[in-house]
Amino acid sequence: MTALLEIRGLTIDIARDEGPARVVDGIDLTVMAGESLGIVGESGCGKSLTMLSLVGLLPNRIRATAGSAMFGGKDLLKMTPGALRRVRGSEIGFIFQDPMTSLNPVIRIGDQIAEALIYQKGMTKPQAAIRAVELLALVGIPAPEDRAQAWPHELSGGMRQRVMIAMGLAGHPKLLIADEPTTALDVTIQAQIVDLVRDLKTRLNMSVVWITHDLALIAGLADRIAVLYAGTVVEDAPVAEIFDRPTHPYTRALLDSLPTLAGEAMSRLPSITGTPPEPGRRPPGCPFAPRCPLAQPACSDAVPKLAPVPGSDPRHRVACPIVIERAVA
Amino acid sequence: MTMIDTDDRPSGLWRDAWRRLRRNRLAVAGLFIIFGVVLVAVIGPWLSPYDFLSQNLDVRNQPPSASHWLGTDDLGRDVLARLMFGARTAFLVAIGVTVTAVFIGVSLGAVAGFFGGPFDRFVMWFTDITMSVPQLLLVVVINASLKQPISQWMEARYIETLNPIYRNSTLIDFVLVFGSMALISWPAYARLVRAQVLSVRNRPYVTAARALGLTNRIILTRYVLPNAMGPLIVAVSAGLGTAMVLESAFSFLGVGVTPPTPSWGNMISDGLRVWTNYPHLLVAPAAVLAVVTVAFNFLGDGLNDALNPKGQK
Amino acid sequence: MLAYIIRRFLIWVPSVLLVMLGVYALAFYGAGDPIKLIFLRAPGDVAYDPVKIEAIREQAGLNRPFLVQFGSYIWNLLQGNFGNSLFSGRSVWAMISAAAPVSFLLGLCSIILTAVVAIPLGMLAGLKQNSRLDYIILGTAVTLWAIPAYVAGPLLMVLLLVVLPEGSMPYGWGGLFSVKIILPLIVLSFQPIALILRQTRAAVIEVMSEDYVRTARAKGVPELVVALRHILRPVLTPVVTQLGLIMITIVNGAIFVELVFGLPGLGRLTVQALINSDFPVILAITLIGSFLVMASNLLVDLLYPLLDPRAADAKGAR
Repeated sequence: MTALLEIRGLTIDIARDEGPARVVDGIDLTVMAGESLGIVGESGCGKSLTMLSLVGLLPNRIRATAGSAMFGGKDLLKMTPGALRRVRGSEIGFIFQDPMTSLNPVIRIGDQIAEALIYQKGMTKPQAAIRAVELLALVGIPAPEDRAQAWPHELSGGMRQRVMIAMGLAGHPKLLIADEPTTALDVTIQAQIVDLVRDLKTRLNMSVVWITHDLALIAGLADRIAVLYAGTVVEDAPVAEIFDRPTHPYTRALLDSLPTLAGEAMSRLPSITGTPPEPGRRPPGCPFAPRCPLAQPACSDAVPKLAPVPGSDPRHRVACPIVIERAVA
Repeated sequence: MTMIDTDDRPSGLWRDAWRRLRRNRLAVAGLFIIFGVVLVAVIGPWLSPYDFLSQNLDVRNQPPSASHWLGTDDLGRDVLARLMFGARTAFLVAIGVTVTAVFIGVSLGAVAGFFGGPFDRFVMWFTDITMSVPQLLLVVVINASLKQPISQWMEARYIETLNPIYRNSTLIDFVLVFGSMALISWPAYARLVRAQVLSVRNRPYVTAARALGLTNRIILTRYVLPNAMGPLIVAVSAGLGTAMVLESAFSFLGVGVTPPTPSWGNMISDGLRVWTNYPHLLVAPAAVLAVVTVAFNFLGDGLNDALNPKGQK
Repeated sequence: MLAYIIRRFLIWVPSVLLVMLGVYALAFYGAGDPIKLIFLRAPGDVAYDPVKIEAIREQAGLNRPFLVQFGSYIWNLLQGNFGNSLFSGRSVWAMISAAAPVSFLLGLCSIILTAVVAIPLGMLAGLKQNSRLDYIILGTAVTLWAIPAYVAGPLLMVLLLVVLPEGSMPYGWGGLFSVKIILPLIVLSFQPIALILRQTRAAVIEVMSEDYVRTARAKGVPELVVALRHILRPVLTPVVTQLGLIMITIVNGAIFVELVFGLPGLGRLTVQALINSDFPVILAITLIGSFLVMASNLLVDLLYPLLDPRAADAKGAR
């Protein structure tokens, strides 16, 4: 397998009056061709910003200040806005969180999909309209010809998210980034959307990055999972490794807080004490140290680097010298 | 845990808004200008060596000079002194009108929005009416037709009682000008507050307050109205500026504050008669009025951005 | 649709009746005796004869109770009779139909000018929020907003006086295609332009932060298309609403502009009628002004569903 996307040392800052605040601090991530990567973390850990920064969609006051993101031999972070525009949609497709607000209310659905085709694939309007209907059928929308003429407010949340997926796929991208696409949906619909994306991924042979805060949701979808905490990757491993041998204290805490059917009824779920640091108030050294049950004074000295975990899958890496020492011992 | 202290965080919506407002240079400039003019309105008439009323026919229509910084008018009165006293009139009118209009508008709007029903429909119908008539026309008609009978009545009362208060023509002016301007201004506030109340009324925290058994009055004053404060403050700051401009418009049409009480409006309207020969008599009051109106607008815009940070991303 | 228009009209009728009742009452109780007013203004040779006055009063029906007079006024109105001017004795309808085209053309041109100038500039300012361009556009708009028409008019005339030869002052009315219309039109449009410009800017800033604009960018749509299609379209909905609502600003502004530039329109007619306490004219103008505002609000409501499909559905349900 070859690497489709390689992010190295990505840093993102928010410009504030008091000075810049760091939200993403030196992230390293790789997405292989045909792989699906899950990015897991609490809200505000920088998972969405990391992905938005790749295609130049960061909000106004937020900037990627260091690092590189190689995609198809080019550094996305160094591209001109015009070149980035051609990457968006045709090379990297996006699905966003809230389908209720992510569709333009005053443009018909078919036209919103066709737009991507017209500007990315150079199709004529009639061609694009036909293709839009095909795409609606592809994402499992019944009566696609009629739906193409519908306004966004006439569809349910699940249907709208399918439309979003159709739009994300319109340009036939190599990489589809799904930014918490199911958070705003009902649980039953969530599963349908997950199944749809998994199905489409194999049919269209693309890579998928699925951003979520819900570990359980992507267990069946991702090949590999990267756990983010306060703007850094703390653990990066194949999905089975994460669930069978969680190594970083934060990953473990996340897994412990998932309810299981096997557990004793009515027992309290363990939760992580404290709150993640705010941007600009990062503790020195390991950002998780203030909340970590294993923390030692040395943890605050330097930001730990990702390193392979001895004795497990070679792709399993963790950013915690303490657990690595223990694994060696 | 000590890393995540929360003590020195700027707490609360208002402090955040104040911080955002201070960042907006135009709004701060507006605030300073308004404070300056208020100061002049309060202490100005004591600062000036001239009285705004004293005429000196030897120095009529003089251009600005060292002794009369902004010149004199056709009766030899010092323009600067009149402008400074005009600031008093302007703020009296602006504050009087806005306070009256806000009081009527907020109470009717809040009650209408909160309780709904026939009262709501009546209030909305009434605001529709006042907002669907060319307002200027309405005010001018009211002023033009009521001034004479009221003056006559006051004169009659004076003859009866010899109480000098009935001789005060300024009083009539203010009552009429305040009254008619408030009459056309309150519906806007009523609608704004009603819309806010409607949007807040069914929010979960209000339902929760109701579930706790709080009375309507407490819910209205403690939960619903504070949420309407932001837009209301913005509307008031714009309304103050508008009231000043309106007063000058009425003076121009001859129904505002009557001379010799100086108002920027009647100074402009006097200046318009002679401006080809003595432009300073028009430019001075017009410029002052424009600067103050712009200041109110900048402040209003700044407040709007500060209190509704949505667009500030 | 027609039923809707008729219903709106029927809602408007009692409102305007109430306003007219108010104005009529002001005239009846406040303005003083119209007959005396006529005599006071008449050339000196007409003697002030109480008997004569009473005769005229009797003849004009001005000695009847208030409500009877108002009722007969409305009754005449329904038959298309607006009465006669107390001052000149001319038919009010003739006076108004002479003056209305001037104001109507001026107002229409002002709305068009406002839309053409304010929407693109507001759009530009909003897209470039907090840039120098934004500050220049917004600053100009706020300044224009703050200068009343009766000050802006004379000042602009001074500027022109310097440029133009004496004889060609843009004073008076020369029809729609005369150059004389330019200056009043500009002055009349200052406030509407400032208002719509700021509304457009605010709406653009709000829409820019919408998720669907990000979606459009994520699809790789060019920036110009994002601006025109994804931002401008949703912005137009509130802005067109405002365009209807500024009718009242224009009606108010026309009073001053017509006075300053000597245009023989409804505004000047209004001021003359006010000076003369000519209440039949004032009542007729109130009626027309209220009708204009109602009609423009109605037009906006009818246009709204065309701009916002969500409103179209809500209306279908109604």
